[in-house]
Amino acid sequence: MITIKDLGFAYGEKPVLKNITMNLQEGRIYGLLGENGVGKTTLLTLLCGLKKPMAGSIETDGHKPFDRDPSFLSDQYYLSDEVAAINLKAIDYAETFGKFWDGFDMNKFTEVMEVLENDPQQKMNHMSFGQLKKTYIAFALACNTKYLFMDEPTNGLDIPSKAQFRKAVTKYTREDSVILISTHQVRDLENIIDPIIILDRQDVLLNATLEEISEKLYFDYTTDKVDGALYSEMIPGGNIQVSLNNSGTESKVNIEALFNTVHQHKELIKGIFNK
Amino acid sequence: MKDNIFNFSRFGKYFASDLRTCWANYGLSLMTISLLLPVALYLVVAALQMTINSTWSGPGIGLRTFAFGVAMFCMVVTMSVKCYGRITEKQYGSFWLTLPASRLEKFISMIVMTCIIGPLTGIILYIGIDTIICAIDHTCGNNLFAAFLEMVRNIADKKEVTLNLIYETLTVENAEFTHKLMKQMSSPWLYIDDAFGITLPFLLGAIWFKSGKTVKTFIAMFALGVIASIVFTPIASNWAADLVNNTNISDDEAVSIMINNGFFKNLVLIDTISDTIVNLAFMAGIWFRIKTLKH
Repeated sequence: MITIKDLGFAYGEKPVLKNITMNLQEGRIYGLLGENGVGKTTLLTLLCGLKKPMAGSIETDGHKPFDRDPSFLSDQYYLSDEVAAINLKAIDYAETFGKFWDGFDMNKFTEVMEVLENDPQQKMNHMSFGQLKKTYIAFALACNTKYLFMDEPTNGLDIPSKAQFRKAVTKYTREDSVILISTHQVRDLENIIDPIIILDRQDVLLNATLEEISEKLYFDYTTDKVDGALYSEMIPGGNIQVSLNNSGTESKVNIEALFNTVHQHKELIKGIFNK
Repeated sequence: MKDNIFNFSRFGKYFASDLRTCWANYGLSLMTISLLLPVALYLVVAALQMTINSTWSGPGIGLRTFAFGVAMFCMVVTMSVKCYGRITEKQYGSFWLTLPASRLEKFISMIVMTCIIGPLTGIILYIGIDTIICAIDHTCGNNLFAAFLEMVRNIADKKEVTLNLIYETLTVENAEFTHKLMKQMSSPWLYIDDAFGITLPFLLGAIWFKSGKTVKTFIAMFALGVIASIVFTPIASNWAADLVNNTNISDDEAVSIMINNGFFKNLVLIDTISDTIVNLAFMAGIWFRIKTLKH
């Protein structure tokens, strides 16, 4: 489990994260959402040890990430939004570096490469950005780590690859893993992320499972106008309207509508979910 | 806990991967410097000789030794940047920092690669190709390796040529002084720690600066050199004045004082200690950079 307590981080004088407190539990794929510049990448890099917290603490199974102990690093993988074009074939890259992760599975690497329709014999510095991203995704999944952090993994992927990515993430990850995916493309990941974390400037607006969200908010997809809707948006063939769930009726959560609702009613949503 | 600091098996794996990535990033440049340069030099000089003097003659030992020095310097300057400069870039650096090996393992591998493996490979390849050229074309004279062995023998035999060189360089015509200095200068350790001293600053520059790594390293080295001379020149002058302590003594007496001084007697030891301190300072800088690097 990852325990984050009163976490603070700033770039110079500009604070990015302030008093962030939350726990990330095993067996879940967290979706980390937020506007540009709210600190999604900063949070991910703090969690994987690329940055040092300026205030508060992060503890991952007893490790402080910034110590970068090999025993900690071998159970986590961070997939950056920008990936390096290395002068090696994808297969050689996997063979050379995979052995550092105890759970690395070469068969899984080639299998995921196949699912993503990527050629493992191609040199990485001759790949397009999308192909390179797919190679790193295959490598990340083949590492079989307990903690997997992905920053905008679907950026640069074509439409079929996004579906293949969703399939690969659900099929090739460990049952007990903690996966944290930061994204702007909520539709790319709508069916796999649960719980949802929404970051705002220096703050966490929401950290809840889809079940909890559905218990407290109602997503209406009919053409009828809902009185007291917190958010409404016209979509082809109807509306999406989000309102407080007073009747206890279950509904399918639309993450984009949820995001917009949370942003328009920050204090109300925080109040509802922090009860 | 100990396993998080150093593990032989993991270090072996890391070193092998480091070797592979260094070769992928720098192999071509290394081959160009070590193999193509001596061949190109030979062909250019021979072609010029043919054009000007209408005779086929390869480059002499002096020119080849100079070219070898330039090639090795180019290698030292470029190798660290090509092999490790990318760790300051977000794309590669994030991966490198989160690769499950300890800081100590990454540090040792870096030092061994840039200070020993890289230069040694370059030297062997360069001298190897030079030996082949000289074996094929005898107009080149001695190959670099044979010339080096001859130089060592000259020093060991204290031949006239070496003595004269020292007389001319230091303008001290005192046989005892020259012999003692030569004995000290023939210690190989004197040059090994100097080799580290040339490589380490460029490695530190490669992982410290985010851009313009080589140029900034040269500027930083120049600045450090200026500061060191400002600090140490007055100290050395005062020390020399205190040592002689009498402006009316003859040159021979001054040399005699110098020979019997503890500093001169322990020249190699003092040089080794001072070079080791400087090298350790650069290593500490490299360690600190690896420890605090963030992305």
